[in-house]
Amino acid sequence: MHPALRAACGLALTLALAAPVAHAAKAKARPAKPTDTTSPAGPALSAATFKVERHTLKNGLVVLTHEDHAVPAVTFWQWFKVGSRNEAPGITGISHYFEHMMFNGSQNVPPKEYDRILESNGGYSNAFTDRDMTAYYEDIASDRLDVVFRLDSDRMASLSLLPEQLKSEIEVVKEERRLRTDNDIAGMLDEQLYAGAFVASPYRWPVVGWMGDLERITRDECVAYFRTYYAPNNCILVLTGDFDTKAALGQIEKTFGAIPAQAPPAKPVNSEPEQRGERRAEVHYPAENVSFQVGYKAPGVASEDVAVLDVLSSILSDGESSRLHQDLVYRRQIALSASTFFRTRLDPTLFEFYVEMKPGKTAAEGLAALDAVLDTLAKQGPSARELEKAKNLLEAAFVKSLKTNNGVGEQLGFYEHVFGDFNAMFKTIDRYRAVMAEDCRRVAQKTFVPQRRTVVDLVPQAEPAAQAQP
Amino acid sequence: MPRRISITVAVLGLLAAGGAIAAPLQLPAYTRTTLDNGLVVYVMPTRRLPLVDFRLVVRTGSVSDPHGKEGLASLTADLLTQGAGTRGAQQIAGDIAFVGGTLQASAATEQVIVTCEVLKKDFAVGLELLRDVTVAPTFPAEEVARKKDEALGAIASQRDDPATVANQELGPFLLGGSPLAHPTIGWEKSVATLTREDVVAFHGRHFRPDNAMLAVVGDVEPQAVKAALEKAFAGWKANGGKPGDAYGPVPQARNRQVLIVNKPEVTQTQIRLACMGVPRNHPDYFPITVANTILGAGFTSRLVNEIRVVQGLTYSISSRFGMFRDAGTFRIGTFTKNETLRKTIDETLKVVRDLLATGPSEEELAKAKRYLTGQFPLGLQAPDALATQLLDVEFYGLDPKYVETFSDRVNAVTMVDCRRALKSYFCVDELRILVVSNPEMARKSLEGLGPIEVKDPQ
Repeated sequence: MHPALRAACGLALTLALAAPVAHAAKAKARPAKPTDTTSPAGPALSAATFKVERHTLKNGLVVLTHEDHAVPAVTFWQWFKVGSRNEAPGITGISHYFEHMMFNGSQNVPPKEYDRILESNGGYSNAFTDRDMTAYYEDIASDRLDVVFRLDSDRMASLSLLPEQLKSEIEVVKEERRLRTDNDIAGMLDEQLYAGAFVASPYRWPVVGWMGDLERITRDECVAYFRTYYAPNNCILVLTGDFDTKAALGQIEKTFGAIPAQAPPAKPVNSEPEQRGERRAEVHYPAENVSFQVGYKAPGVASEDVAVLDVLSSILSDGESSRLHQDLVYRRQIALSASTFFRTRLDPTLFEFYVEMKPGKTAAEGLAALDAVLDTLAKQGPSARELEKAKNLLEAAFVKSLKTNNGVGEQLGFYEHVFGDFNAMFKTIDRYRAVMAEDCRRVAQKTFVPQRRTVVDLVPQAEPAAQAQP
Repeated sequence: MPRRISITVAVLGLLAAGGAIAAPLQLPAYTRTTLDNGLVVYVMPTRRLPLVDFRLVVRTGSVSDPHGKEGLASLTADLLTQGAGTRGAQQIAGDIAFVGGTLQASAATEQVIVTCEVLKKDFAVGLELLRDVTVAPTFPAEEVARKKDEALGAIASQRDDPATVANQELGPFLLGGSPLAHPTIGWEKSVATLTREDVVAFHGRHFRPDNAMLAVVGDVEPQAVKAALEKAFAGWKANGGKPGDAYGPVPQARNRQVLIVNKPEVTQTQIRLACMGVPRNHPDYFPITVANTILGAGFTSRLVNEIRVVQGLTYSISSRFGMFRDAGTFRIGTFTKNETLRKTIDETLKVVRDLLATGPSEEELAKAKRYLTGQFPLGLQAPDALATQLLDVEFYGLDPKYVETFSDRVNAVTMVDCRRALKSYFCVDELRILVVSNPEMARKSLEGLGPIEVKDPQ
């Protein structure tokens, strides 16, 4: 469910004692769901007034710029059009491994120097990898823009992939896998959900990769991967914040312009057959409470229905007034939480549910309640007020995603890559506002079909199993 | 092989020469006033987006939980949005969602925080809801029962997450019976005793205008906001004496001890090293912050460099000072596969010991100062972040010019200051060690580090 990330952002380290004040945690790692921008957000957020320029260098590198002089700082995103969907069995996890290696030395920036130089200039960097993309960013003061251009063009031109760094960094990645998957219940379920739901799609393996593959990825595979996928013609740069567009473009041309283009990468093969029956899986693991995930097959970006699915997701699980919370948590009081997850992806994907049951409650009870909620929604559709509420929530979420330079850049990169044009960001509004109750009914009926779902149950087990011997 | 191209500029030479970040930081203009009823109010207009953020802080929190009633502040905060004024739980949830807004209430150690974020056009709805849930919660009996049950379920769930277990067990391990020690959600046995009467009494005692502060930041007209606030909170009156907020002396753990929290199934061990630290408004705040940046914040800190980058022992390691109003902690958190548990602890202690013994290099000091001054403004872009900053200054009694002088004060930290901070406020031999792991394995590997105790997660 969660994309892998270069650094935990204090994830596991925020001690109970550490937060005298409860600052809201920023969900850094996930590309915001497509949302919309009309009425109350007003003309301030229309394509006409929210000025974005798009330039393409001769080597195919796309550059998006948006000036905002509110704070003397900039965010520089680099979106590489490669994620775990571009991998193959045997090298699963290589995209995310690369996300780590991009900070580990290039021709003119030896290992450790990237971060040293960046932090010496007051900058911060992080990155994430998901099924469809690998994205990097730096936040830095406006007068240090040249620093990130030089650092990032150097690694795009000539990543070193030194054996010593490869060896040490894979251990870091394995610890990340142990943290987020092998010792995390939601992580275990999510991995099994995708592995069970897809039999041919590259979405079937986890973004972080199988442990066995992490043990065997070779330097040669990394070198070939870099040449293919880290070419300028496979990348989108996004610059937002306090800078002068013309001057910045000149600097980008100077630093990135000479990096040679490569042959475009082959399109990933997706031979996923139609699912013709419910699939079930179990994870046996010591746990206090039962939880389960359900994934229904859902379309990718090519379908107009993705906007309707976003609206359905909001109706089902956004906030305490949502249908799932009202039914499972509030009325029946059988669940601690009931959430949905749907993100527009390049390929057909899953519309996911995650339910944590209260002590003593079974997954069967939870699934029956979930089925009843979905059945009612598919039969009757949402009420007028409920539909309006969902649209308002999606619209507000979009406005909020633009609070920072970083957020603006993340949205632009996401739409340019996944929708193929950043302008889709502005059109999405109309797509949401156009969704009718009948669309919700139609898409719910089409999507929430038991024959096209996968269910993964956590089966709590009293005693830990003996450690499997290799 | 990677492609090679020649970069004509001498990259390293140019880049390494960066000086202090130049641009001085100015907060948008704001006002601080005290309403007749004692409520402190900040108003700051920012026009970048059509949003308004409200943040209201009450000077209470889990530190005010009576002994045996741990979790009371948290349950009270949870219940604020479950019935208030004329609305029931469902209507509150429905009304805020209908305008695409958020309304949240939660307890921290020393604060109960109510936040509301709405689009500009929904200012009135947001203010009314924020006011009602703060001033006039109704605590319906069935909601109290439900939220209490959910808290008990959540406590059970948290025992499934090794990092949460580590964080929650660290409090009592380090702070003993201090009211700072327990997790805000409380313990299973204390939450089980909470009643509606407890909640009503807690709210009545602590939620008073002269014990609270409010910030409104966003696309607003200051005069109109002030008039609206005066009107909205006119009926909120303080009754009786103000509750005391002192929590007495906190035990000073001065000896090495080792605690193994039993979690036999894990393949990766969560590790916490901790000792006592300093309160938030400490005269050496800036030297401490700079020194800690060198030790364990950012990607180039000594701990990240040695434990993650060089040795590949972990995915994440950091050190930090948790600063409360009148006390604080210093701690290091990380995790590693079970097989490298002892090695990770030994190497971590070595990194701390080396820095304390020899101090940082001039380059490290300069880098930490640039990093801190460069990052600080980035955290102040969003209206909710600005609201938090304003109220932090108010709550901890910081310099009203804290934001404007931040860079100067960081830059004023000398090598002597930094070494003094390391010597005075950091620790190594006194660090208590907590791990969440398989006890048989961990006991063997931790032998010799100090007296070992094993316990089950609470």
